[in-house]
Amino acid sequence: MKAFRSGRVIVGAVIVVTVLLCALLAPHLAPHDPDDQNLLAQLLPPAWQAGGDAAYPLGTDGLGRCVLSRLLWGARVAMEVALIASLGAALIGSVLAYVAGYFGGWADWIIGRAVDVWMSFPPVVLSLILMTGLGTGERNVILAIVLVDWTRFCRVLRSEVLVVARRDYVAAARLVGFGHWRTVTREVVPATIPLLVTLLSLEMGIAVVVEAVLSFVGLGVRADQVAWGQMIADGREAIYQAPWTLFAPVLAIFVTVAGFNLLGDGLRRTLDVRMVEGRE
Amino acid sequence: MLLILGRRALSAIPILFVVSLLLFVALRVLPVDPAAMSMPPSATLAEIDAMRSQMGLDRPLLEQYGIWLGQAAHGDFGQSLHLRRPVLRLVADTLPATIELAVAAMLVASVLGVGGGLLLFTLRGRRSELVVETGTTVLMSVPEFLWALLFIFVFGVLLHALPFTGRLDASLPRPDKTGFLLLDAILVGRADVLWSALAHLVLPAVALGLAFAPPIMRVLRSSLLDVYHDDYIRQARLRGLSEGRILWRHALKNAALPMLTLMGVQFGFLFGGSLLIEVIYSYPGLGNLMVDAVRNADLPIIQIVGLTYCVLVLAINTLVDALYVVLNPKLRGR
Amino acid sequence: MILHAESLNVCMGDVPVLRNVDLSLAAGQVLGLVGESGAGKSMIGRVIARMLPAAFAVTGGSLTFDGANLLAMPAERHRALLGRDIAFIPQEPLTALNPVLTIGHQFNEHLKRLGIPHRREAALTALGSVHLRDPAGLLSRYPHQLSGGMCQRVLIAMAFAAKPRLVIADEPTTALDVTTEARIMDVMVELQRAHGTAVLFITHNLRLAARICDDIAVLYSGAVVERGVARDVLAHPAHPYTRCLQLADPPLTGPRRALYALPENMPGLREAMRTKGCRFAPRCLIAVEDCRRIDPPLGPRAACLRTEFTSGIATPIAEAAKPEIGTSAVLEVSGLAKRFATGGLFRRAAFVAVRDADFVVRDGEFVAVVGESGSGKSTLGRLLVGLETPTAGRIMLGGQDVTWPSEAARRHRVATVQMVFQDPQSALNPRRRVADIVTQAMEARGAGHAARRSRARELLAEIGLPEEAAERTPQQLSGGQKQRVNIARALCSLPRLLIADEIVSGLDVSVQAQLLILLARLRTEHRFALLLISHDLAVVRHLCDRVLVMRAGEIVEQGDVGDVFANPQHEYTRELLAAASA
Ligand code: SF4
Repeated sequence: MKAFRSGRVIVGAVIVVTVLLCALLAPHLAPHDPDDQNLLAQLLPPAWQAGGDAAYPLGTDGLGRCVLSRLLWGARVAMEVALIASLGAALIGSVLAYVAGYFGGWADWIIGRAVDVWMSFPPVVLSLILMTGLGTGERNVILAIVLVDWTRFCRVLRSEVLVVARRDYVAAARLVGFGHWRTVTREVVPATIPLLVTLLSLEMGIAVVVEAVLSFVGLGVRADQVAWGQMIADGREAIYQAPWTLFAPVLAIFVTVAGFNLLGDGLRRTLDVRMVEGRE
Repeated sequence: MLLILGRRALSAIPILFVVSLLLFVALRVLPVDPAAMSMPPSATLAEIDAMRSQMGLDRPLLEQYGIWLGQAAHGDFGQSLHLRRPVLRLVADTLPATIELAVAAMLVASVLGVGGGLLLFTLRGRRSELVVETGTTVLMSVPEFLWALLFIFVFGVLLHALPFTGRLDASLPRPDKTGFLLLDAILVGRADVLWSALAHLVLPAVALGLAFAPPIMRVLRSSLLDVYHDDYIRQARLRGLSEGRILWRHALKNAALPMLTLMGVQFGFLFGGSLLIEVIYSYPGLGNLMVDAVRNADLPIIQIVGLTYCVLVLAINTLVDALYVVLNPKLRGR
Repeated sequence: MILHAESLNVCMGDVPVLRNVDLSLAAGQVLGLVGESGAGKSMIGRVIARMLPAAFAVTGGSLTFDGANLLAMPAERHRALLGRDIAFIPQEPLTALNPVLTIGHQFNEHLKRLGIPHRREAALTALGSVHLRDPAGLLSRYPHQLSGGMCQRVLIAMAFAAKPRLVIADEPTTALDVTTEARIMDVMVELQRAHGTAVLFITHNLRLAARICDDIAVLYSGAVVERGVARDVLAHPAHPYTRCLQLADPPLTGPRRALYALPENMPGLREAMRTKGCRFAPRCLIAVEDCRRIDPPLGPRAACLRTEFTSGIATPIAEAAKPEIGTSAVLEVSGLAKRFATGGLFRRAAFVAVRDADFVVRDGEFVAVVGESGSGKSTLGRLLVGLETPTAGRIMLGGQDVTWPSEAARRHRVATVQMVFQDPQSALNPRRRVADIVTQAMEARGAGHAARRSRARELLAEIGLPEEAAERTPQQLSGGQKQRVNIARALCSLPRLLIADEIVSGLDVSVQAQLLILLARLRTEHRFALLLISHDLAVVRHLCDRVLVMRAGEIVEQGDVGDVFANPQHEYTRELLAAASA
């Protein structure tokens, strides 16, 4: 694959794989139970700073919990949400996009209007409302992201499908006797895969952010799960005494999102995908 | 221009209807009982039932929507369950703050976006381009709430340079005219109020604007690159026009069109970002109202605030669309 | 000399693109630069404009404008010449004007730079001089509100507004219809004469060049292979390539004759670099041993060792008699109409693309639909294969009614009629291999891999592609080869009727001749009927038996090709013929 000759793709992939490994191996890598409170070691600074303790490499938070362990366990939630939610959103969005772009007519009209309605909500607001309805929990976070972000796929992919479906080779396939299913799967879909892959990568970054945001305002995963957003909310309380408890999760989110974005961006270039750029 | 604006606005109305219906239905299927919530905890079951029928909660959903719509048409959007005030008042109190913040952020995003886009474009083909471009990708990976936290830490906690809670110093009187603080300060002629309000606005607005600038930069750059492949740019060069003139008079106007499309979507999303910024900066706007309401399951507020966000997004889209039509002669006169 | 090039060399990296090109153009003269795509003819214009693509560079020789060295002068001085002393007329008029600025704005900007006072009056005069109606109204219009012909007139007016000494016109009419082309050429010649401007006219069309040029230079593979007075070059070509180009071009008048198709293609740049001796030798009919050793220098007329034998290259003998045409109709169309709804929800309007079409195509008959862009001829084709649904009328295909979409109609169509699309670039899926593309019809029926492979081999042999092409993707083929694959796919299950939309337009004459000969051969081998949609009257006359002339959605005349061309009844047909033969 020529994609792997691009510097961005490599850097992005390395970051993503590293975070993924952290998430998978969290139970083995984490020095402590993330929920273990050591009331004797509250707000310890990172190990390399004066007063740090080697047992807590990144220090502890206000309840004396190991920041590194929480970070690693938080990666689990972040990656689970990112992978499942973006695949779900991609599935719904792309199926609707193929239907709308290929068939056109009233199907396109209805799907287009649905996207309009969805797009009239800022995504953060819509996911908040959905979370109010669904209640907290990781599964509901995923559901909320899928229900909000399918439009990103639908919107961008639809215009691409529209272009591809008007190419003569698609008409030619119909004329030699291809049915609609075969025409779409053999002639239209392959041409849009690069775009889909690129979007998927970018969406994973967005999902990480959304999960963090929801947990930050207390509407994300349940309180007994560790999430980066929650760590930020906790760290914000201790911003004067223990800024590292804020920075650790902030940095984790930034690096993960940057990894997905670099990957997506590199793919876009090497696969020569044209798309409307945009994020949240 | 006004005509186009009007026509676009008209086409947004059906969307608003659908949105309000969806919102209504979505919030009514929640496992929350607004009737019970609107009563003191000591209320008996019978009292709650009476309240429920008084609120119309025992009727079919569509009928409830009809009633709600009828009341809404008279300007009655209901009472907050928690704050016990008309929700319309609550929105009217907080909306100006949000608009002020969002507009300031849009200005920041536009200036940074257009400037950065032009800079990226002038670097095309150079070695530094790759660096700068990767830089924008990395920049795009910092969402607004991370910027906000970072700014608080750097400018608030470390440098003590700027305030980071609220809209105004607590010691200053709040002029109450339009709700738009900057405007009010000018109206009452208080420089100190204006200064304080601006100082409070800087961090949130820049944090929000910064998060939305990179996509604008990149779209401007890529559409400029596209435009430079077009025949009319070549023809303008063949006519002997200077490069500067070609960029400013010929290319930019064309490249602005895709950028505007993006801005329409982006600025709609920006209101979502403003919600987070408000929460982080304890900025008394719609976002804080919304988040509080969500925490208290205060449905009437959630409903109207959700609707208000939609109106804001649709208004921005309408404005941008109209501008697009004005700038694109192919769409004009249709 | 206004423009003078001496052994000009341009390279792309280390690959020569132009080799030792000598040109000279005197004041007030018109020089035609003729060549097929890839010959390097546009490169010269780009050198003059200093707009060579990245990686291209002038590597030797000189180029002067009125004695001034165009290659070495400072950039500012060079830019000062552009638009003022050297003006350019572009190939694609519709996209050469800025879409978001009015004509008046762009004209004004140009005149302002030239320092012309009373700019509005000057603009009106200039627009008047290219015979545009209502110049004042035009100034406030945007390019998209104008037709291609009008845009080109505006651009010509702009070019001549500065009274330049040199105008470079690169294929200025290729994107336009025949009747428009004729008028645009007239306008250009008129202004050129009036101002005594020197014109460098770059074209692929030898006949068109001969019409307006004083001198002609023919380019082949980056070098001038023949030059001379236009009349002489056309009447007595000295280089075999020029001669073959003529023989490949179907005549519009006189007896119908067979075409001569140059074998193979013009060598690519790298390939040409490796060729020793005359680069035309692999395709030359009269090449001898020496030709492969000696690279012939450009003599007074041609770069050829055996110029005296050129005139001996004869028109090939007439083809075998045309296959007889059946009596049964494969396609009967009556009262066919198509309206498109336009405008928004509130202001509905209808655009009639086809109205009341009545015609018959018999088994084995080649019928042409001619007309200019917007005449509805392509819509007609799409209606017939079912890509559009008609508004009214009836389509009988092989005796069965297929007017309205239904599964039965679709099956019947698939078995009876196939379409060859205009643009092979878009008609061939870039992700599939040639073997898969040509046997797509079998894939639809669920045929096995082995059967498809063997059929693919047969088809490739029939269309004259090497066997190894089966494994290639379309991007690895030349334009002509792509079009052959396009035809092979349609022929895969031997339909009774083939509908071909502009399948030879946009191709070079030599490639066009190859395709026309191929179609004629396939016809005798497989006996199918063809409905050829085309704007090129010469091609139609060469290939088809009957012709339908369409204008604004209506068939205004139909009949035997010989009759219609010799004795056109409708005024529009006469107009078309006059424009094409001018
Ligand atoms: S030199 Fe030889 S090969 Fe070349 S054109 Fe003349 S005869 Fe043909």
